[in-house]
Amino acid sequence: MALELRDVNKTYEMNHVGVHALRGVSFLLAENEYVAIMGPSGSGKSTLMNIIGCLDVPSSGQYLIDGQDVSTFGEDRLAEVRNSKIGFVFQTFNLLPRADIFHNVELPLIYRGLRPARRRELAMAAIESVGLADRIKHKPNELSGGQRQRVAIARALVNDPSIILADEPTGNLDTATGAEIMAIFDELQAKGNSILLVTHEEDVARHAHRVIRLRDGLVESDAVRREAA
Amino acid sequence: MSSLHGTFEAARIALAALRANTARGVLTTLGIIIGILAVVTTMTAANGLSNSFKESASVIGADVLFVSRTPWIVMGRFFQFRNRPNLTLKEAEKLERQLHSAIAVNPSSETQRPVKFGNETRDNIRIIGTTHKQMLVSSAVPEQGRFFNAYDVQAKRRVCVIGKTIHEQLFEGLDPINKNLKVGRYDFQVIGVMEKQGSAGTFGGPDFDSQVFVPVTTFVKLFGGFNRNFDFAVKAPAGASLEDYEFEVIGEMRKIRRLHPNQEDDFAINKMESLLDAFNNVMRVVLLVGLAITGISLFVGGVGVMNIMFVSVTERTKEIGIRKAIGAKRRAILTQFLLESSVICLAGGAIGIALSFAAAEAIDRLLMPASVSLPIVGVALGVSVLVGIVAGFIPAWRASRLNPIDALRYE
Ligand SMILES: Nc1ncnc2c1ncn2[C@@H]1O[C@H](COP(=O)(O)OP(=O)(O)OP(=O)(O)O)[C@@H](O)[C@H]1O
Ligand SMILES: [Mg+2]
Repeated sequence: MALELRDVNKTYEMNHVGVHALRGVSFLLAENEYVAIMGPSGSGKSTLMNIIGCLDVPSSGQYLIDGQDVSTFGEDRLAEVRNSKIGFVFQTFNLLPRADIFHNVELPLIYRGLRPARRRELAMAAIESVGLADRIKHKPNELSGGQRQRVAIARALVNDPSIILADEPTGNLDTATGAEIMAIFDELQAKGNSILLVTHEEDVARHAHRVIRLRDGLVESDAVRREAA
Repeated sequence: MSSLHGTFEAARIALAALRANTARGVLTTLGIIIGILAVVTTMTAANGLSNSFKESASVIGADVLFVSRTPWIVMGRFFQFRNRPNLTLKEAEKLERQLHSAIAVNPSSETQRPVKFGNETRDNIRIIGTTHKQMLVSSAVPEQGRFFNAYDVQAKRRVCVIGKTIHEQLFEGLDPINKNLKVGRYDFQVIGVMEKQGSAGTFGGPDFDSQVFVPVTTFVKLFGGFNRNFDFAVKAPAGASLEDYEFEVIGEMRKIRRLHPNQEDDFAINKMESLLDAFNNVMRVVLLVGLAITGISLFVGGVGVMNIMFVSVTERTKEIGIRKAIGAKRRAILTQFLLESSVICLAGGAIGIALSFAAAEAIDRLLMPASVSLPIVGVALGVSVLVGIVAGFIPAWRASRLNPIDALRYE
């Protein structure tokens, strides 16, 4: 799946004053890329991720998925894209607190309409791939932060999405745990998924092959890392 | 989402969410509980009413007219009829003579006396003086022994036919036939026991199983015939329209009473239809009261459920955002919350149904035979779900329309 942003702007209205979160962002994302987005706080990284993840829409400009303008998609089509083309990993995990691990990972499959037997198979495979097979009956609050983030990753990849979006996935984790999470992303990228992650840490960004730097809602630099090339 | 299996999944999600808030859910459903209790009790009462009506009405033939002094259903017009002359045995004879076509004209009258067998006494028992033609104008027959015949009537014999309840209460399993029953101060020989007929007590009518039939001639002789009022049961000929026949009976009665054309009838014609009217009146009141209580409670309950659903949607805004972020469509969210409100209402409905079994038990013991039937339970469950869907719709709709990113950011 190829993504393209063309002069994307995002303005929030706050007390009749426009906050310009994005001011004309353009770039292309080919298949199987590994990109880190960096930039100071408030530079628009999360806003950008939300637009790419079809959770939010640009105020102006275009966002194209495989050449199709997302603004022409209806609600249901957007839900389908979020469900099976994109896997989202959040800084704060965003798991359902009352559901156990298995149900959390199974949920995207339910919304895709799969039968229970098939769901079980896929969900178990995803949970195993993040090494939590022995925790399926646990609730999120019975897990460590790193384990929770691994559950969130299992949920993001259970529908085998083309791209995984991760907004500061290691932001709430210690360095060692963060490294474990990054190892999972490396593996996923090696298997053919695209990874787009937001981070403040150069150590984390070092995993990516390309780094896009934002400043005040603009792309400051967009470069392939020398080591990666 | 494939719909059936999707619904099942949504039910599972809804149930999981509900388990966390059971107590609050049950509390708010008090209105639903009362509403369902009211609807089940109303339907059960209406059912029991209808059954006991059919039971008691079947005793009165549909092709029988009753000439009486007053209508059965008086409804506050009592004084209007106070000065009417009694119907006498003589008039019954005249009517029989003049109504050639009638299959039977049977005069009967009643009084109350204590009855006694051995040491067992029952007070205020209805003693009915009638003739052998009773068998033609009523469908009830003796289940044991026989009814009295023309000879018994003619000879003023002291024989009687007792109701089923009298048999059970006074004779306690003994064979009553040919035993002596004291009716008032006089000894009567029991010659028959009537089959069970049921009670019209619900409509202020008599209990047909607690009465004693004696020959009208004996009745007049022992309990007095002067100043006594009779009812004439007139069985219409086969094939005659009861309405037309009613005119004929009225005409003959007016002749007997020598009424001028400008004078009103000083007697009344009753028939099963009059009972039906009374029945319908009682039924209407029961249904009206029941439906009013049901409607108000369900409305209040529905508003409560709507409220709890609004709270639930607000509290779980973030959850909705997460679900949308991983691909839930509007429909899936809508279904989830509709199911949740339906399950809350179903829980209330189930409690209401359970309580209504107790209510039916009480009605059965105090008023009339009544039991909660399966179709009624089905209707009640359906109503519960319907209230759930109606009450939950606006909150669920609102939840389904939430913007994913706003919902996700909600703290
Ligand atoms: N919902 C919103 N309403 C109003 N303004 C917003 C909203 N979301 C973001 N903004 C503003 O848009 C700008 C960009 O925010 P964004 O969250 O994208 O920054 P970020 O780069 O992710 O920052 P951080 O590194 O702190 O997460 C900020 O100035 C922020 O205040
Ligand atoms: Mg951010």
